[in-house]
Amino acid sequence: MWQKPLFIIILFYLFILLQNSFFVHYSLFGATPNLVFILFFLLAFFVKKDRNYQIIYLSAIAGILLDISSYAYLGVSIVVLMAIGFMLKKTQSSLKNMADSYPFAHFLPLFIVFFIVYRVLAMAYLQFIDPSHILMSFNLSFIAGIAYNTVFAVIGFWIFKKLGKKALR
Amino acid sequence: MKRIIQNMNGVKNFSIRHKNKNWLRILIGGAILLFFIFIFNIFSSPIKNYFYTASAPIQKTFWNAGESSSFIIGSLFNGVTLSKENIGLKDENQKLLSQIAALQSIEQGNQAQSDVSATCQNSGFKLVMAGVSGLNNDILSINKGSADGIAVGMPVISQQGVLFGKTLKVYKNFSDVMLISNKNSVINVKVQQNLTAQTGDAVAPEIDGVVKGSGGLNAYLDLIPISSEINPQDVLVTSAIEKSFPKDLLVGEIIQKQKDDQKPFQQAQLNLFFDVKTTDNLFVIKNYKQAN
Repeated sequence: MWQKPLFIIILFYLFILLQNSFFVHYSLFGATPNLVFILFFLLAFFVKKDRNYQIIYLSAIAGILLDISSYAYLGVSIVVLMAIGFMLKKTQSSLKNMADSYPFAHFLPLFIVFFIVYRVLAMAYLQFIDPSHILMSFNLSFIAGIAYNTVFAVIGFWIFKKLGKKALR
Repeated sequence: MKRIIQNMNGVKNFSIRHKNKNWLRILIGGAILLFFIFIFNIFSSPIKNYFYTASAPIQKTFWNAGESSSFIIGSLFNGVTLSKENIGLKDENQKLLSQIAALQSIEQGNQAQSDVSATCQNSGFKLVMAGVSGLNNDILSINKGSADGIAVGMPVISQQGVLFGKTLKVYKNFSDVMLISNKNSVINVKVQQNLTAQTGDAVAPEIDGVVKGSGGLNAYLDLIPISSEINPQDVLVTSAIEKSFPKDLLVGEIIQKQKDDQKPFQQAQLNLFFDVKTTDNLFVIKNYKQAN
């Protein structure tokens, strides 16, 4: 019973360390993969309809780690991730039912949209944006970041589908 | 009939109770969460410090692994010799640029005054060497904190005199450094025009501007008067106007200018001189008098 949450916490912890150290050396136009967000999104995506409350503790773990490793107030990421998590579940429930409950056709566009939402919200709270910054913020690094993170998310999706789905449920 | 209606009402009541239970769970969860957020923020500094202290060895291992593996992968593409030569040349180039910046400053101002100022500014600094251990949103983590005499707002440079940024938050055993590429970073700079190639004249009037971070380890030059002539490869160094940083620290070079005659100022894309990926140690200037 307690193994699953513990395993998730360890995974989030390792991912935050990896994204802030190892993957810094593999940046693409200044963009690095946000492994914690990707893991959060994957876990939230595969949460069953009647267990939406799990979003709360998932966003609490992911958010606190993101906030500890940044200069933001503790808790801001928790709220942002929680909002994204519940929006994701709401969107998923309104999508047309398919034979596969968690199809890739849903995952990919949802990830891209919610990642952009997350980046915009992160920009709003991490950086004070003056008008001259807005245009400069949507630069090559921003686009590269979306593409780079999507690649990791897609890999994660297939790994999750093949191996982790049963283990993490 | 009556029984069926009673059953239906029962189902309806159960459904409402179930929904209410879910909402109650969410509300209780939210309340507990808010309570923890409040508590966490009270103890934010020690929490971050303990987290960093506990994670530092693992993070440093990952950092070194990333550095060496990216070097190996890079070498596969570029060749080991080329890569080493490139790093050596880069270091040498930055040293030379630093010397040029100092020379230009001497030529333009009063010789004696510049000597005094250079002596005070370049050799009077008390430096603390710190190791780099993490990067997140253009915020760099270094392994020295208030226990080593570091305070908020201190300039952070490399051994070649390249400006990285300034300390943003200081904890007991580590500090967050806001890089000049961070979107909140704005610094005053001087553009040192590289006219030697064009006119044979090494000395040119310096142009004041500001470098604004645009995130993703990038920044751009702004507030350059439209009448001023700037060119690619012009070098940017810190100016002492703002007094946040010592003057003549290397910042970057212009890659491409963006000039619009209808706007009062021109902008330019920059190549920042700092390289987080290949830097292991940085220096925090402890005794630079700050404006703030």
